Parts: sequence; C-alpha cells; structure tokens
Amino acid sequence: MTSIRTYLIVALLSTVALGNFVAAVYGYRSSMIEAEALLDSQLNDAVSLIATMRTVSTPLVDAPSSLMAFQIWSADGKLIQRSANTSDAPITVFEDGYRDENFEGFRWRVLSRFDQQQQRWLLVGERIDIRTQLADKVILHAVMPIVASLPLVALVVWLVVGNGLSLVRKLAQELGGKRADDLSRLTTSNPPVELAPVVDAINDLLRRLQESVLRERRFSADAAHELRTPLSAIKVHIHNLRNEYPDETDALRTLDRDINRLSHLIEQIMLLYRTTPESYQANMQEVDLHALAQSVIGDLYADIDARQQSISLTGSAQTVTGDRDSLIILLSNLILNASKYSAEGASITVHVDRAELGICLSVADTGPGIPLAEISRVFDRFYRVGGDRHSSAADGCGLGLSIVKHIGDLHHANIVIENNADGPGLTVSVIFPADFQSPLIFTRHSAC
Amino acid sequence: MQILLVEDDQSLADGLCKALRNVGFITNHVRDGKAARHVIEVEPPDIVVLDLGLPDMDGLDVLKSIRANGSTIPVLILTARSSVDARVSGLDLGADDYLPKPFETPELIARLRVIERRLSTVLQSNIHVGNVSLDTIRQQVCLDDVPVELPRREYMVLKQLMENIGKVQTREQLETRLYAWGEEVSSNAIEVHVHHLRKKLGSDLIKTIRGVGYTIRKP
Repeated sequence: MTSIRTYLIVALLSTVALGNFVAAVYGYRSSMIEAEALLDSQLNDAVSLIATMRTVSTPLVDAPSSLMAFQIWSADGKLIQRSANTSDAPITVFEDGYRDENFEGFRWRVLSRFDQQQQRWLLVGERIDIRTQLADKVILHAVMPIVASLPLVALVVWLVVGNGLSLVRKLAQELGGKRADDLSRLTTSNPPVELAPVVDAINDLLRRLQESVLRERRFSADAAHELRTPLSAIKVHIHNLRNEYPDETDALRTLDRDINRLSHLIEQIMLLYRTTPESYQANMQEVDLHALAQSVIGDLYADIDARQQSISLTGSAQTVTGDRDSLIILLSNLILNASKYSAEGASITVHVDRAELGICLSVADTGPGIPLAEISRVFDRFYRVGGDRHSSAADGCGLGLSIVKHIGDLHHANIVIENNADGPGLTVSVIFPADFQSPLIFTRHSAC
Repeated sequence: MQILLVEDDQSLADGLCKALRNVGFITNHVRDGKAARHVIEVEPPDIVVLDLGLPDMDGLDVLKSIRANGSTIPVLILTARSSVDARVSGLDLGADDYLPKPFETPELIARLRVIERRLSTVLQSNIHVGNVSLDTIRQQVCLDDVPVELPRREYMVLKQLMENIGKVQTREQLETRLYAWGEEVSSNAIEVHVHHLRKKLGSDLIKTIRGVGYTIRKP
C-alpha cells in the first residue's frame, strides 16, 4: 500500500537534499575561484615585497616559510638569488603571468614578473596543496551547516506532512467509525479545499444510498399492504363459496390450501427482506429469551396441538440484547419448522440456557433430521431438503432458515444445525454472544 | 348486532359484508374515513371494523376522533400493516382488538363474537367444555351436570383457562390473575391448583405444556 506521507517525505527530503547539494557545489566552485583570486593577489604582493629587497651577496637565503619559494634571475639568465627550497633551475619560464608548476616534489602556483627597474626576473611560488587546504577549510565551514541541518529539516518535514494529513486521518476515522446502517452525512466541518470534493462525493453517495434504502423499505411496506388486502379478499370469498357450496369441498380445500401457501410465501419473502441486516431497523433491548419462548410457544400451541405433537420448554431465564420482534420471528420459524418436518405425535423441545460461548437457544425435534450433505445448504434461499418431495409432504417455500440466518446475523449469533446424536431428529441451536460487542468468531463448535 | 365496516378495498368489503351477514351481523360499509366519522356520529353502530389504510386519512385518526368524542364503541382494527409498533399504537389509541391481514374469516367472526358477548346485556354466563360447564354468574362448576365444589383459587384457574379456551396461559399469567401484588405465592401454587382440578374434573381436561403453562383444548 502506498503512503502519501512516506511519498511526500521522501520527495521533499530528496528535493531539499538535491537543492542543497547543487547550492553547495556551486558555492564551492565560486568560493574556490574567489579564494584563488585572493591568494593570487597575495602572491602578487609577495613579488612586490621581494622586488624591494636589496640583493645580498649570498645567493641562497631561507624562504620565509617552506610553503613559499622564490628566485631572482638577471635579465640575461643568471641566478641572482633563490630560496633554499628551490634548485638552480628556474622554477618557471621567464614570462609574465601566473602558472602552475612542479618542482621539489610539490605542485606550486608560480608568478613571474620582470622587474623593469632593476632589470631582473622575480619568480615566486606558493604550494598549491596548502592553498587548496585553506580554501577547503573555508568552504567546508560555509557548507557544513547546510548539510548538518538536513536531519532537522527531515524532522520538520515529517511533522508538517503528518499535520497536513491529519485531516485525511480524521475523515478516515469518521468513515471507519460509521455503523453499517448509519447513512447520515459526514460531519467533517470545513474540510480543506483538497478534501472537500471527497467529502461531498461521499455525502452524495450516502444520500443516494439512504434514498434507495428508504425507497426499498417503502416498497416492501407498500407491497405488503397491496398484497395482503387482495389475499384477504380471496380468503373471504373462498369462505363465502364454501358456505354456498358445501358439497364442492375438495376443489375449495385445494384452493384454500394454495391461497395459504401463497400468503405464507408472500409473508416469508417480506420477512426475509425486512430482516436483512442492511435494511433492518433493529431496536435492541434486553430480552428474556425464556419468557419470549413461553409466549411464542403459547401463540403457536394450536398449530402444534393440531398435529398431535407435544412441545416443552426447558432451561432457565436468560437475557440477551436483541430485537424483540425479530427474535419472535426467529423462534416462530424454528418451532414451526420443527413441527412441520416432524411426523404427527413427535415431540419438540425448546431449550434456553447459558452455554460456554454465550446464551444458547435450541429447538430440537424428533423428526427425520437432515442428511449431512445437505446441512450446509439449508440456509440458501428457496432451498428445501429433498426438493419439494420432502417426506413430510409439508408445504413450505424454503425461506424460513434464511430468515433465521438473517436474524442470527443481526444479533451476531452463531447458528448450529446438527442431527441428534442420541436418536432421530434435528437440533437447531442459536448461540448469542455473551458480550454483544465482542468480535465474532465464526467457528463451528458443539451445540449446547 | 350492527357492524360498520370501514374498508376501501371493494372486493374485500363485498366479501366481508356477505360473510358477516351470513352469520347474522347487520353490516354496513363505508369506504373512507370521512364517511365513517359521519356514520358513527349520526347512527352509531355496535362495533366498528376499521381498516388503517384509508384513501383520505389514516384509520388511526378515525379511531382517535371516535375516542376523542368520548365514544366507547368497540373498534376492531383490520390492517395490512404488520409491524408490532402499528399494532401497539392501535391498541394504545383504544382499539379493542387487532387482526392483521390476511386473516381467516372464521377468526374475524370469532373475535366479533367475543366483543358481542362483552357488549350483550345478557352476559353469556355458561361455558361448556366436554362434560364440564362453568356458570360465571353463579360461580358454579358442574361435571356431568353435577355441581362440584371448588375453592376460590381453583375456580379462578378453571375460569381463566375456560374463558381462553384453546390458548395457552403461562404460569405467570395465572399467578397475576390469582394473587394480589406483594402476596406470597409459593413456586408450585398453580401446579397444586391444577392437580386438584384434575382430581375433581378428570385428568384430561387441563393439559400441561412443560416449561410454558396450561391450556384447555377446544373439544
């Protein structure tokens, strides 16, 4: 992943370093030229000084220092005087001007000048390596601070870039902190010019998303209303027909059954839609699962009793944080499934208890169970075990467990489906995390 | 018994009028909230069956205006809205019952009968289940027409179960009916009452739903 901060810091530091380097090279060169000119004029002064010297009898004199050398030649080419650190040979050609020469194992900067007054050649040299050392020292002092300040510059750049990017970080935090169903506008006030288009684009996207969610919610509510009323009308008319034609019971019974299937399918599709975690407006509160199970069983008892099945509730009162309405749907679906796919006379056990990983709600039946190969598919929409030829011959649309799964997801609950170990039948367990906020661990584990 | 049906769907309204007339209810039908308010004002029916999604106003507003005028006409709400909130707000506003669409016609008739019973000056005082009968006025229970003496709380349990025949009564529900707030209730009090009732009236009458409560099945 590329980082704007790293990029900016590397780019800025490289630019600063390059700029400093170019400046230093340029400064070094111009300082060098300056220094050379200065030293050359010093050499010129030295020549002028020597010119005023009176010629002594001994041709050999000590040089003012070993770093300087001089020779005085007559116009006709005789050596008049020389410093001790030169030989008898002229140290340069007899021609006015500065020159670089080699002698005595060193490189020298040499000035020759013809002394018109006394008709002689004055040759003065200065060791170049010393000059260079001197110039280097001067220049190094000028360039050093620039180089030394680079780490400081780097630190400041690091902080400034970090500070400049803090607004991006803040925006990222706000986006990251949003709940899945929170489609409200970003509150970042006064975004910088560069971020304003991003914030605007995100807000625009959120608004359109919210509109489409609302539209779909309205659609589902409208569809519910529009479909339920004609269904009610059909049911009433069938009821009236049955009163008028008591003999036509077979056809009417089939018609009645089909209408019930249709209305069940419509209700389940609407439930499935309504309970998708993206669109569900959950109203989370403390719910006692045991008490809720009591009331759901009470409501469904007539259906279960009609199949001569028995139902019991075991376990103890357990509170979960959940949405009451959807938990009622979850319980109803599980209990009705257990009843529907078990034979007449079967027994259903609802159990609510505390388990190792949270609160466990399980619904066990004594029906045929589900073949292992098909267990993983039962959450698929419209999937029915054994197709439409389920041995129970029960009507159904294959949405019940998808809805249960949706509601389970809403509650961050794990759903485990297992065939009973100690006999025929199926147990569906819903395990609600003890701490709702805790991260989910989707691992299969033994049901409670 | 005169019923005013407020429903904008013509087909459903026609079918309902016919079904209700078949069982002896005098049924009139209006299609919108304004007409409903007018009829209720000038010629109050005995029971109002009210749809919530009306073309001109929300059915709940009709209910509000009925109650605002101090009328106690029983109102049964019939609606395609399914959310529990809609149901609760309906009952909060003073509806007597609530039936979500699509409903079974016999269920609607049964609920209207309940309201009718509540309204009738001659209270229906006898409830029969199999060979057991209960006279709520004389507080008399008979088994095969032979009076059976029951202590007050056993009578209350039986009455509660017989009045809600086919429905499950949880232990908590029964306890709140039988005991005042703060009164000491032993954990198995209801079980003991049911045990005694079974001894006196036969073991098949009251059925236990383990972990949930008790019920008397429709014969």
